[in-house]
Amino acid sequence: MSLKIKKAAVLGAGVMGAGIAAHLTNAGIECYLLDIIPFELTDADKKKGLTEKSPAWRNSFAANGLAGVTKSKPASFFTKKNASMVKIGNFEDNLNWLADVDWICEVVVENLKIKQDLFAKVEKVIKPTCIVSTNTSGIPIKDISAKFSANLKKHFLGTHFFNPPRYMKLMEIIPGVDTDKEIVDYMVKFSEETLGKGVVVCSDSPNFVGNRIGVFDMSNAARLMVDKKLKVDEVDAIVSKVIGRPGTALFGTMDLVGLDIGSHVAKNLYDAVPNDESREMFAPAPFLEKMLANKWLGNKTKQGYYKKTKDAKGKTVKLMLDIDTMEYVPAGKPKFDSVSAAKKKDGICESMKTVFNGEDKAGDYVREYLCKNFIYSANRVGEICDNIMSIDNAMKWGYNHQLGPFESWDAVGVKEAIEVMKKLKLKVPKKIEEMLKKGCESFYTIKADGKYYYDFEKKGYVKIDENSRIIILPSLKERNKIVKENASASLIDIGDGVVCLEFHTKMNSIDDGLTTMQAEACNIVEKDFVGMVVANHDPRAFSAGANVFQVLTAAQLGHWDLIEQGIESLQNGNMRMKYLSKPVVTAPAGMALGGGCEIAMHGARCLPNGESYMGLVEVGVGVIPAGGGCKELLVRLTEGIPDGIVEMGINLQYHMAKAFENIAMAKVSTSAAEAMELGYVRKTETINMSRDQQIYEAKQLVLSLAMAGYKPPKPALIPVMGENLRGFAEGIIMNMRYGNFISDYDLVVCRKIAQILSGGDCAEGTFVSEQEILDLEKEAFVSLCGEKKTQERIMYMLSSGKPLRN
Amino acid sequence: MSDAVIVESVRSPGGRYKKGGLASTRSDAYGIQVLKGLLARVPELDPADIDDLIVGCSFPECEQGMNLGRILAMGAGLPISVSGMTVNRFCSSGIQAIADATAKVRAGWSDVIIAGGCETMSHIPMGGSAMRPNPDWKFDGSMPNVYINMGNTAENVAMNHNVSREDQDKFGVESNRRAYEAIKAGKFKEEIIPIQAFKYAIKNGKRIRQTVTFDTDDGVRWPTTIEDLGKLKSPFKAGGVVTAGNASQMTDGAAFSLIMTAEKAKALKLKPIAKMTHYAVAGCMSEEMGVGPAYAIPKVLKLAGLTPKDIDVYEINEAFASQAIYSCRVVGIEDRYWAGDINPNGGAIALGHPLGCTGAKLTAQLLHELKRRGGKRGIVSMCIGGGMGAAGIYEML
Repeated sequence: MSLKIKKAAVLGAGVMGAGIAAHLTNAGIECYLLDIIPFELTDADKKKGLTEKSPAWRNSFAANGLAGVTKSKPASFFTKKNASMVKIGNFEDNLNWLADVDWICEVVVENLKIKQDLFAKVEKVIKPTCIVSTNTSGIPIKDISAKFSANLKKHFLGTHFFNPPRYMKLMEIIPGVDTDKEIVDYMVKFSEETLGKGVVVCSDSPNFVGNRIGVFDMSNAARLMVDKKLKVDEVDAIVSKVIGRPGTALFGTMDLVGLDIGSHVAKNLYDAVPNDESREMFAPAPFLEKMLANKWLGNKTKQGYYKKTKDAKGKTVKLMLDIDTMEYVPAGKPKFDSVSAAKKKDGICESMKTVFNGEDKAGDYVREYLCKNFIYSANRVGEICDNIMSIDNAMKWGYNHQLGPFESWDAVGVKEAIEVMKKLKLKVPKKIEEMLKKGCESFYTIKADGKYYYDFEKKGYVKIDENSRIIILPSLKERNKIVKENASASLIDIGDGVVCLEFHTKMNSIDDGLTTMQAEACNIVEKDFVGMVVANHDPRAFSAGANVFQVLTAAQLGHWDLIEQGIESLQNGNMRMKYLSKPVVTAPAGMALGGGCEIAMHGARCLPNGESYMGLVEVGVGVIPAGGGCKELLVRLTEGIPDGIVEMGINLQYHMAKAFENIAMAKVSTSAAEAMELGYVRKTETINMSRDQQIYEAKQLVLSLAMAGYKPPKPALIPVMGENLRGFAEGIIMNMRYGNFISDYDLVVCRKIAQILSGGDCAEGTFVSEQEILDLEKEAFVSLCGEKKTQERIMYMLSSGKPLRN
Repeated sequence: MSDAVIVESVRSPGGRYKKGGLASTRSDAYGIQVLKGLLARVPELDPADIDDLIVGCSFPECEQGMNLGRILAMGAGLPISVSGMTVNRFCSSGIQAIADATAKVRAGWSDVIIAGGCETMSHIPMGGSAMRPNPDWKFDGSMPNVYINMGNTAENVAMNHNVSREDQDKFGVESNRRAYEAIKAGKFKEEIIPIQAFKYAIKNGKRIRQTVTFDTDDGVRWPTTIEDLGKLKSPFKAGGVVTAGNASQMTDGAAFSLIMTAEKAKALKLKPIAKMTHYAVAGCMSEEMGVGPAYAIPKVLKLAGLTPKDIDVYEINEAFASQAIYSCRVVGIEDRYWAGDINPNGGAIALGHPLGCTGAKLTAQLLHELKRRGGKRGIVSMCIGGGMGAAGIYEML
């Protein structure tokens, strides 16, 4: 049996269901989105002329779900166009559609009977090979499948997404007792490779892994706040980035998720785990009950732990709930010595350790908070999952913790934490003492042949399986696979004759070292390798663009020759990559802005991660793309024009207007699909979904190009509009200036863009070489650097991180 | 010198931009239908007696390119002896065609001419599909900005001449109210030639072209309030005052009048409705082109030796509320608007402004309104992109 999901159905069009459907389309999977028929025709429906027979009324739940997810922020779809891949319907009229789907994901209300009834109907129409899953977060899989046929039980499992499905990496997979192993393995692989998720396989136990540990973690933190007589803002100052928690901290996150959701999950857990040693932790605290009664549910009701109001001057003031008085009081920015000291530390391990060892209230709080988390987590291994990695991964991927509980425990020291536990009279799990007796003093360890974790059952270290599809550059570096390196970038041998050019400056900004390495990499690859991947692991930026500080310094000193050299080296490096005799595959992920976008555009091929935020944003600092960005955008936007059509007099104004608009408005894509719409990535490219596997996939692309006898492209000839574009652009920008949408200086910068895109003083329909556009880019860049207002823009960006509109 | 008289004046309904009744129909297709409808109303006329067809069009390209005048004449089945031409003076093209026809007939060079306008805005963008401003022309104030966006000129008029947002929105609401009332009372029925419009659909999986009857202006937004309009933002200027609620709608339409010598009308036993007695065009600043009527109306009145009081009904094109209000103020007739003598049945804010057709469309509206009222004289006037105003005086016969 070869499994393949081409078409899917999501049953239930709530926020989660519609979000899953949206993400399936991101992965290129068409899907049906079905929900129930509304209970009754409302007056508003009747006013619209709807009857009980109108499909618009019968499908309205699914339609509303789809509409909501189309407008959601952050966006659920890579591009709104994907919405056309979702077909909406209802459970009464359209169940027969399910006959041709390969996967059904059920996301209806958390009610066992409703789920069972729905599946009973579904079972009658689906094909026998269809994979069926539930997205339940609380109902046991075995209860849902109790009445299934033997065949359906084999094809049934839990697939638990976290909200929002596009952005949360965690996907819990919960096999039933009877689920075919082949199905489980396939769904793990499918979730990782096709959906880009991080999978944790869980036991069929209450709330599975993420929400079991997550609910404990939050309840623990909130209860300790009461015990330690701390305030909401104080806890958020502590349970924050310094111990690896998300920027929204503890209560900010609860407000974001919604207190009703959090307490529903906790209550479900309380009822489901009568024998849990910490069960009482899950009973709602009195203040939480009051908040729920008052409908202070967080951001969605505009108040929860926090509330924003405006003072007499109209300035926004952040208030927090005083849980003793149940009144909102101004929130401050509480300072703790240990927290301040931790902020100065390098790396999360050191930072966490600093707070853990702090001698102030924060240290006191964190010690007890973390130790309780550690103990609870250790006690759950074997019950909710097989090993410690599952819990660590669930908390990192589902709760955005930087370190999972066992990694945190390693960070503060296993022995050190046990001493604290003893002092606090907490019961240290036997298996931990056992582990220390075995001489294993950390949960993870690195040996010469790779990474190991401590397995409680096997009572010793077990080697972590390496997924051959995950290439980790730092571990290759540890294994001496560096071909060449400098402070800004490295060239790493990733096997099979392929190298990876990795940037590692701050935000991977482009400096001289980086362009030097780019040039050297091309030389080396040309001589000794099959091809090159340009990629890195930075979670935020493939490259955030040129190091503008260097540009500013050179401009202020009047070193125009230096600026010119800098531009030339990036232009030459990019052109070198594009025309290298060996294939270069760029693999952007996260931000690829300005020069970063230009580099990403100059490979033989591009394999963008779905979450690629690409744009030529130079105007924000008063310059223009000069590393070949204008040039390559022109190439991309005009290369689809068939031969001879320019000579026939095609009107190029729309192609040119798009290029002009992209650059002048500094348009940035919110996904790889949008990067294709904007023209930064060719539409024929494939989008990588799994960031973990992106370098591997890029490498495979290099190899396949090489195997197919790769030849570099022919030099491009670009059709331009010449002076007519300048007149055309002038008309547009003057109107924008009239309308006060742009400043006088924007006008100056826009004219430079028009000058470049025009191709110089020539007639409409002239073909120019790439070098001609590159020269125009360089000339414009250098001249803008000499302008006081450009320098002001750069300075402002460096000091505030925001563009200046001067 | 023969007198040139108008014996019939008709129009298509105005169809909303991209969404309206004519959005899927080629402009030549409905232009031909209006011509045929006009001729059907005058069976006494032998088409072979028609000398020329003059068609106003602001963007004579694509489906309305290649000399629309000749194409419509042939499309309407007129004999090959009937010549045709296209004239373009932007928004006044339609009345320009009637003025040219009148002048030609009066000069004795023609006996019978059909003149009017035809425009699709749904299919051809403002500025045309290939706008090419002169790159050597600097827009630093040293030369008039003839390429300026019309919305910006309206913002300039509002700002330079203190026309408040509230006044503009009030005017916008009133235009819609009047148009709504006029349609409800069936006032436009007589002047409108129903169009068999195209509608594309998918039937049984096949794409097909259907034909539907389109017979009523479809741009009117009623009910609407000043509060509703107050919420709209200016697309033309940051913090501006000109919005979709107080600007003309982009519209598709065609309108034609039949003009002939008084003798010819008499010979055919046709009853002339009216005649165009005077016509004038005046230039003004490009950057505030909307003030055009403020120059053109006094100019044409002076030509005729009349005063604003001598005019019973005005149709002043509402390209923008700001310019329409300001032009009325300059001419000293703002009170006449509220008295119902100017744009009595609503203006372009509600009924649309199909550019090159507008002058001919307003002529049809004006003549039928004068007939209803038993009025004597009327004026059709509009502002013109690039900085001009046009005004023509009609006298009922």
